This record gives sequence, structure tokens and C-alpha cells, in this order.
Amino acid sequence: MNIKSRDSKYLKGACMKYNLLEKTKVSELVNALKKKYRVVGPKEKENLFVYGDIEDAGEIRLEHKPPILSLKKYYLPQEEQLLAFKFKEVKAVPVEVKKENLVIFGAHTCDITGIICLDHASSIEPRDSNFHKRKKNVLIIGIECLRPCDEHATCVTMDTHNPKGGFDLMLTDAGNNYIVQVNSTEGENLINEYKFLFKESDAKSEDGLIKMRQEKEKWPRSLKVKTDDLKKTVDSGLKHKEWESVKARCVSCGNCTNVCPTCYCFDIKDDVDLNLNNGTRSRVWDSCQLKEFAEVAGGENFRKDRKSRQQHRLLRKFSFSVEKYNRFFCTGCGRCTRACMAKISLYETMNNLVKE
Amino acid sequence: MSETKKKVRVAFFDFADCEGCQLQLTYLNTALLDILNSIEIVNFREVMHERSEEYDVAVIEGSITRPHDEERLKDIRAKAKILVAYGACACTGGVNGIMRNHTVKAALETVYPGRKDKMETGLIRAVDQVVKVDAYVHGCPINLNEFAAVLKGLLLGALYKVPDYAVCVECKLKENVCLYEKGQICMGPVTRAGCGAWCTSNGNTCYSCRGLLEDMNKQGQLDILEKHGVTVEMLKDKFSLYNGCKLEGNK
Repeated sequence: MNIKSRDSKYLKGACMKYNLLEKTKVSELVNALKKKYRVVGPKEKENLFVYGDIEDAGEIRLEHKPPILSLKKYYLPQEEQLLAFKFKEVKAVPVEVKKENLVIFGAHTCDITGIICLDHASSIEPRDSNFHKRKKNVLIIGIECLRPCDEHATCVTMDTHNPKGGFDLMLTDAGNNYIVQVNSTEGENLINEYKFLFKESDAKSEDGLIKMRQEKEKWPRSLKVKTDDLKKTVDSGLKHKEWESVKARCVSCGNCTNVCPTCYCFDIKDDVDLNLNNGTRSRVWDSCQLKEFAEVAGGENFRKDRKSRQQHRLLRKFSFSVEKYNRFFCTGCGRCTRACMAKISLYETMNNLVKE
Repeated sequence: MSETKKKVRVAFFDFADCEGCQLQLTYLNTALLDILNSIEIVNFREVMHERSEEYDVAVIEGSITRPHDEERLKDIRAKAKILVAYGACACTGGVNGIMRNHTVKAALETVYPGRKDKMETGLIRAVDQVVKVDAYVHGCPINLNEFAAVLKGLLLGALYKVPDYAVCVECKLKENVCLYEKGQICMGPVTRAGCGAWCTSNGNTCYSCRGLLEDMNKQGQLDILEKHGVTVEMLKDKFSLYNGCKLEGNK
């Protein structure tokens, strides 16, 4: 284990640990992990990708565009039972979160940032205990992006294109090897456990890492608004004519929020068995883009039209989140833009908001 | 529900339809036995001979065409405490609504060549275009889980709420590759969910059998379809395959 003190802005932290993993050893690592953990990672699905269970190491696609749904489904499942109840007995008991040791293998830094955001949102009172119970048992082995996914990604503006925590290990492609950055005790334990697969890192590899990250600064920025101006742009742009165009195009399909790594809104529903006695209470993903979302008793709806709903989405990403959690809730992954059939693009909307 | 409590009497009636939705119910198999603890089926042509004119819940399958169908439906409505529109034909007029694109005369000539004088038909209507409907079970065919939810809702006094959002929501949660992503067209964005994206999860496209969203952005959907190279005629077909009765100007 090579421990060095660095002052480069690309190698954050005073004390960083790096290892090398030969590319030919990746399968061996995955197969070894599979003996102890449920391993999930990006896999192909038709012409796109999904995070899914890895049956064979060969299924993992470390080179991938962000999968259809983000990592949030492993922390806040699409549907999760909270309570089991019985009518006759007038009794309800919590449904415990199934303990499962999960390894996420091959997540991009944008998706890891998504989990950091959800952690913030789940940590304020009342704490979301189910989220934290799951998070405790997840190990993240990330893969650093060395080229932008496509023009829809805005990770450079959001400053999520470099590894900045939230993971246990981070792999960076360095030719025949992956440079493996250790970022947690759990990550270090993992390296120690599978020591026979790793090699000591060297100064040459780490200098290479700095150069690679310097190169990344040259990536094109499709989101032209300066990072510091994002909040202001949304806050002061609510009367901009751009919103009329967004309103006309949006069909309220909810794709943008369902694919978003940081949207955490949910609805609660009850299901009763056909015996009309046993039932469960579940939470299911909800979306601020759906008409019913802001509807309250009496039929009043606070965000009746599509314009106010789309505005709400960007406010949640660039304004409210800054006020509440002191960070943007956009990870720059570009999913919302890619998933929109009506071609509503996050960066185009933002870029247009700063035009006259 | 206590064992001694009187069972709710449920009767099924069919009008212009294929009766496929009623057949779906028989697929409930043993689960049907559970529900039969709470309800008594008193009229169901597909599975039993006995008939009764006394019922609490009337389940209506099919769209309404001829004048005497209208009378029969009004009579059922008067007898039933709760009336459920069951299946696409009842809920939206279904594929029968395609007739709205033609004159009755032209439709008769096309469908019954040489026999048109012996056949009787009229303006196709969804059930709620004739009588008040208390609950809907959408789809072609209906989704059994949803029908069970409607029944349970009726029995528990908490009516099932049909989702008023697009099929895309359920489709995306299942991580299907969007058909538009593959250069295909799909009515998902303007069709009400509740089917669990049944078709699109099984290699098919959405035909809008569950009906158009109340609050759909029709122009937005037309723009999407147009961007994907769909012609005006195809667009008309896409919207009227299941929703001819419910399109503007056809109501």
C-alpha cells in the first residue's frame, strides 16, 4: 500500500492510498466478491444500460452511459413495504429492511454523487431509517470517467466529473492497470482481503492520474451557465418566455424525475389481500411532474399546469436544495435530458434562461 | 368482514364486446375463492346458467350501440347500487369506437357486406356516455389485479383510484428501454397508467387501450409523434384505435 502526501487539487486529501489492479484481474475480483456479496453493476439492455445483478463478471460494462435508473433504486426501491397490518386484530408491524451485503461495481462519479445527495435528504429529521439501514451494507467500487458520456451530461459544470468521495474504492483506467483509490476503511479492508489481486501503486501511475484529471477540464460544457450562477438563473428566471416553450412540450410522463439520481419523493399506498384482512402499506416513487402530486383535499392543486411543475423541478435541483442542504441536487448525469421524449433539455433550458 | 354478514351480490352484463374481459376473471383461479367469501356472483353468462335480477354491483362489459341496449343499461343502472364499467369497450368505447370515424351506413356495409339490412347498430358510446359510472376497470383486456383492487375497494368502502398519470411512469420504473429510443412509436405518454406497463414490458407498444389522460398534452404528444416521422393519418389512427368515442368532437 503506497501512502503519500499530495497537494494537487486533483488528489484531494492529505493522505491518499492507491493500489494497482491489473485489468486481467477484474473478473477474478468480481467472482471473489460474488462469493460474499450480491454484486450489481452496469449491464447492457438493448441499446442502453441498466444496473443489475452480475451473474458473470463478463456482463459488467465499465464503459457505459448512465443506466436507465440510477443507483437510488438500491437505497430507495421503486416500491418498498413499510408496514404489515391486520384489520381484525387491529394490528400493524413494521416490515424490516432485509439485510443484504451489496457491492455496486462500476458506478460513475455522478451516480455516487446522487447517493451523497440522498444521504443529506435522508439524514435530516425525521431520518429515513430504511435508507440508512441499506446504505450501511453497501460497498461502492466506482469507475472514473475519462471521456464525457455525451452532450447531455453536464458533469463538468456540476463539478461531479472527478472522484470526490462517497465511494469505497475508485478505479481509474491507466492502460494495463486500474489505479485503485481507497476512500474508506471498508474499501481498505476489501483490498486487504483480496491482497493477492492488487499491486502497490507507484509515483508514475499517480502522476498519470493528475495529468488525466487536468485533461478532463477541457471537456466541452453543454451547460454554459457558470456553476456559481445556477441558483440565481433559476430563481430569477421564472417569468422567462423559455418556460412557455417547456410547458408546450412537456407531456408529464414523469421520466425526468424517475430517472433522476436525487429525486426522492414518494407516495404511500395500502394493499389489502383478497381475504380483506391482511394488508401492507408501501411507499412508491412519486413525481412532482404528475398532475396529482400537488393536489390536496378539496381538489385544490398548487401546481396545476406543466410550467409550474417543470419550474418546481429545476428549483428543487438548483435552488431549494442549496437553501436546505447547501448543495445542488443535480449530478450532471444528463438522464433527464436523454429520457425526455419531448426533447426538453436541462442544459438548453438553463442556457436559454440566461438569454434575453 | 364477519362471516354472517350478507354477501355483496355482483352481476356481470355484456354489451358490444368480445367477452374477453369476463374470461379474464376466470383466470383468478383459486384467488377467486377468497373473494367469493365476500361476494356472490349472481349473473355471469360466461361461467354459469343461473340468472338473477337482484344485485348490488353491476359490472358492465362492452360499449353501447343499439337503442334497446341503452334501455337495458338504464334498467340495470336503476337496479344496481354500484355500476362498474369493465374493460376498454365499456370504459372508453374501445375499438368499437373506430366506427365514429365512419357513417353508420358505411360501417354496416364494410362489416356486414350483403347482410347490412339484417343488422342493427347505432352510435357507439362508452357506458358513461349513457349512464353514471361509479368505478372503472380499464384495459383491453382488463388487468386482474386492478379488478381485484376495485372489488376490494368497493367492499372496504374505499374506492380504488385509477391512476391519472401516463403509462411511462410504470414503464420507466421497470427500466424498459423507451420505444422512442428505438425509433418506434408508443401512446404511453398520453395513456393512463394502472396496467403496470403490461404491453411495453413484453415487447409490444402501447395502443392506449386504457384511455387518454384527462389532462393529456395532446399537442405535445402530436409533436413527439411528428418528430418521429408519423403521418397525420397514422396519428388519427393512433388516437382513435381505442378512444374514438372520447375524442373531442366525438363526445
